[in-house]
Amino acid sequence: MPRYVIERTFPEGLEIPTTTEGMKRCLAAVDDNATEKVTWIHSYVTVDHRKTFCIYDGPTPEAIRRAASLNELPVDSITEVNVLDPYFYVGSPATLLDEHTGRR
Amino acid sequence: MLLEREEPLRALALRYAEAAAGNGSLVLIAGEAGAGKTSLVRAFVESLDRSALVLSGACDPLSTPRPLSPLQDFAADPESGLGDLRPGDTEPYELFAEVLDRLRNTIRPIVMVIEDVHWADEGTLDLIRFLGRRVADTNAVVTCTYRHDEVDRTHPFRTVLGQVGSLSTTHTVEVSPLSQRAVEQLTGDTGIDAYDLHERTGGNAFFVTESIAAGGRMPRTVQDAVLARLASLDPEVRAAVEAVSVAPRDLAIDRLARLTDSEARTVDAAASSGVLVADGPRLRFRHDIARSAVEAALPPARRLALHRRMIAILEDDGEHDIARLAHHAVGTANPALILRYAIPAGRDAIARGARREAIAFFSAALRHSDLIEPPLAADLLSTLGEQQSLVGDFVGARESLTSAVETYQRIGDLEGQAAAMVLLQGPVWVLDGTEAGRAVTARAHSLLQDRDPSEALGKVLTRISHNHMIARQREPGRQAAIRAADVATVVNSEEVAWRADALRGTIELVMGDSAVGAEMLETSVKEAERMSSRKLQAWSLGMLGSGAGEARMYPTAIHALNRAIAIGQASDDDYEVAYNRAWLGRIAFEQGRWDEAAEFAEATIRGFGVVAEHLLTAQCVLGRLRIRRGDPGGLPLLQRLADSGDDYLLQYVWNAYCGVAEHAWLDGKPEVAVPLLSGAFERAMSSDSPWARGEIGFWMWRLGEIERPPKGAAEPFALQIAGEWIEAAQLWHELGCPYEEAMALADGDETAMRRSLVLLDRLAASPAAHRVRGQLRELGARGIPRGPMKATRANPEGLTPRQLEVLESMALGLSNGEIADKLFLSKRTVENHVSAVLMKLGVDTRSKAVAVAVQRSIIEM
Repeated sequence: MPRYVIERTFPEGLEIPTTTEGMKRCLAAVDDNATEKVTWIHSYVTVDHRKTFCIYDGPTPEAIRRAASLNELPVDSITEVNVLDPYFYVGSPATLLDEHTGRR
Repeated sequence: MLLEREEPLRALALRYAEAAAGNGSLVLIAGEAGAGKTSLVRAFVESLDRSALVLSGACDPLSTPRPLSPLQDFAADPESGLGDLRPGDTEPYELFAEVLDRLRNTIRPIVMVIEDVHWADEGTLDLIRFLGRRVADTNAVVTCTYRHDEVDRTHPFRTVLGQVGSLSTTHTVEVSPLSQRAVEQLTGDTGIDAYDLHERTGGNAFFVTESIAAGGRMPRTVQDAVLARLASLDPEVRAAVEAVSVAPRDLAIDRLARLTDSEARTVDAAASSGVLVADGPRLRFRHDIARSAVEAALPPARRLALHRRMIAILEDDGEHDIARLAHHAVGTANPALILRYAIPAGRDAIARGARREAIAFFSAALRHSDLIEPPLAADLLSTLGEQQSLVGDFVGARESLTSAVETYQRIGDLEGQAAAMVLLQGPVWVLDGTEAGRAVTARAHSLLQDRDPSEALGKVLTRISHNHMIARQREPGRQAAIRAADVATVVNSEEVAWRADALRGTIELVMGDSAVGAEMLETSVKEAERMSSRKLQAWSLGMLGSGAGEARMYPTAIHALNRAIAIGQASDDDYEVAYNRAWLGRIAFEQGRWDEAAEFAEATIRGFGVVAEHLLTAQCVLGRLRIRRGDPGGLPLLQRLADSGDDYLLQYVWNAYCGVAEHAWLDGKPEVAVPLLSGAFERAMSSDSPWARGEIGFWMWRLGEIERPPKGAAEPFALQIAGEWIEAAQLWHELGCPYEEAMALADGDETAMRRSLVLLDRLAASPAAHRVRGQLRELGARGIPRGPMKATRANPEGLTPRQLEVLESMALGLSNGEIADKLFLSKRTVENHVSAVLMKLGVDTRSKAVAVAVQRSIIEM
């Protein structure tokens, strides 16, 4: 399933209280997402709480948008991404070949 | 996944919130067996926070019910705090008072669940009555589920309902059957026909989900559930219920008695078994899927015997319902009986629009084709193939029609052969490509062209006209339709005459005067109604809908498409239904209802993978939508469509070409789309489609490849290319295309650009909005309005050549109507031009405009 970064802007700032209420809201979002086969992985929230970068798995951008509208969340942009980490290339066939032939 | 339960869940959550605040309530959850009552309660319980205490109990369908079984269940749960209650040893009233006391004296909100109350013993019913009246000042939601269809007037729970039902603390939550839309969502891309499944299961959640899990076959779980219900009946009653299962739809009560030699008492018991429902003097299964399950489980010899006996009864009675006779004839497996009844039953099914039924009857008859005379066999094959095409079974259709063609050829019936070939074009077109399809019709034409006119020749000619229409070739299409109409007159064929007229209407609609074409097609629709042909009605409504959609006459289009879909669904016309739905999606997209557009497109792509036209229309919508929203995945989708382009299908893929161009332009790299779009432009110009010429031409202009409107381009696009953005925006506004309106306004002055931005932001069309913001910033930086467009630079007031012509005519004192005639424009367009001229010259009347224009030497008198 493709992975997406969704940028959202909250002009008034995003406030989710660390209470049962807040937990309910997050879990309700998970349920709504499920109806669209969308999974919320996690989000990065800017320090001023006005912008979030959310990582989602979902079948299509349309499903991502529907899930957002079920959760009454804004969408600025949807970008399809792949995961890259520092060890992504370690042990990949190409690097193994390079090590074998002594190339750096 | 729980679908369409938002309302009940919200209601339950509200009751819980009230209970937590000390206002308890009794909630009765009603629904038929398998409606999803338990799933609803489970979802509700799972949504609760940790502070809630959940007490779960159930009543069981035991011949001797456990007394107060829910209380026993509560007591058995160590979490409940009710472990010390001894239901067996205490007086009921004291026991109930104790329970109530516990409910009143806890701090935690309590959710008490009592499942399947329709099976409750007297004690449990008393408990519910007791708690129901006193629950108000507790922290509890007492939740009872029951099958409302099993609680009839005499059921003891009825009395309880009567006593507590009207209390303000009692709430009823109904768990209704799933809608067709929900069933569609659940079938997803499994390839299971959602419409059919919804019909068979009546939207019952259990039957639906189990059928999907079993891949559309009869699910073992459903069979088990149904048979388990039967197993609890007396043997004679069960036999009676089983006998009903061999009947299609329903069975008359007196016939059931004769079929099984049962007494009235047994028949009555069968009727109130919960599996069947009585419909006046007839009995039927509550769910057809249950009927199939029972029928499938019958021992073969018993089933055969029931069918034989049933046929005898029907023949004795002189039954007229041919479908009923044929159903049992097929059940006897006796060839003579099958041929006697299945063939007329198939014809009757077609007349009723029951295509799948017709296919089943004809297929049953044709299994004994060695006993059928070849001319009749050829006719049956041909009719079968046509029906298969209509329901979207193209592989089956190609096979049947190929056999029909061969059979006609063998007996030397050239007309029959040619007519079957016309039908064969459809599946061949879909499965082997448009060229192979057209070749079949061309061969049919060559068979008949030197022979006397015949109805078959008329059919061939209408098919040829239709093919030209699809390729947007106006004159050849019209000529073929006219020839078909001539043939129809000679051979006196109502259907060929009708088709010729409908095609001329369609051709006019998409390549001529659309208003006239739409009127012609409306007449054809009425004619089809008069001829009471649903096939022709659906066909002409589909043509009117998609043609008016292409011409952006949306109200006409939407009305026609919805009517066509309703007729199509009633007559198993999956092919037309899918095509019309795809078109509703395209219209929603053009009208700026983008969420709906996505849903239509996705449903089409999921449900109808095989037919090129539907898929192309739906994928173009999805691709363009993604590009306009700035979402990923749009460009690759459209590029794939553009690459696979069959020249013949320009009308279905021009949107893909335009989408690719739009992406390049929004991306600031217009040049990358030029080679692809130039090819499409050439094809559009060799067709007679004003909308293809218009939109592809428009993007050619945006990419900087052409400067003037191409000949025959649709008006709003032509206006915009000519730099007449005011008129174009006005026209787009009238047509109801907000994105196009915004694009036209974006070509205007600062006020127009701001208006454009409002529209684009409303649509969430971020790439285009981004572009317009850039234009506005640029304006602000320089502090001066942007110079007029290239084509309008000629005069100081920024009038376009067309506006100048209108102004000159105004100076001659011509009215709008006269100007329209003179310049070959519509009156409405002239009105728009006049208001644009007034605006640009900063005046409010025609005479002032002329005076100012003369004074500034814009025109000479």
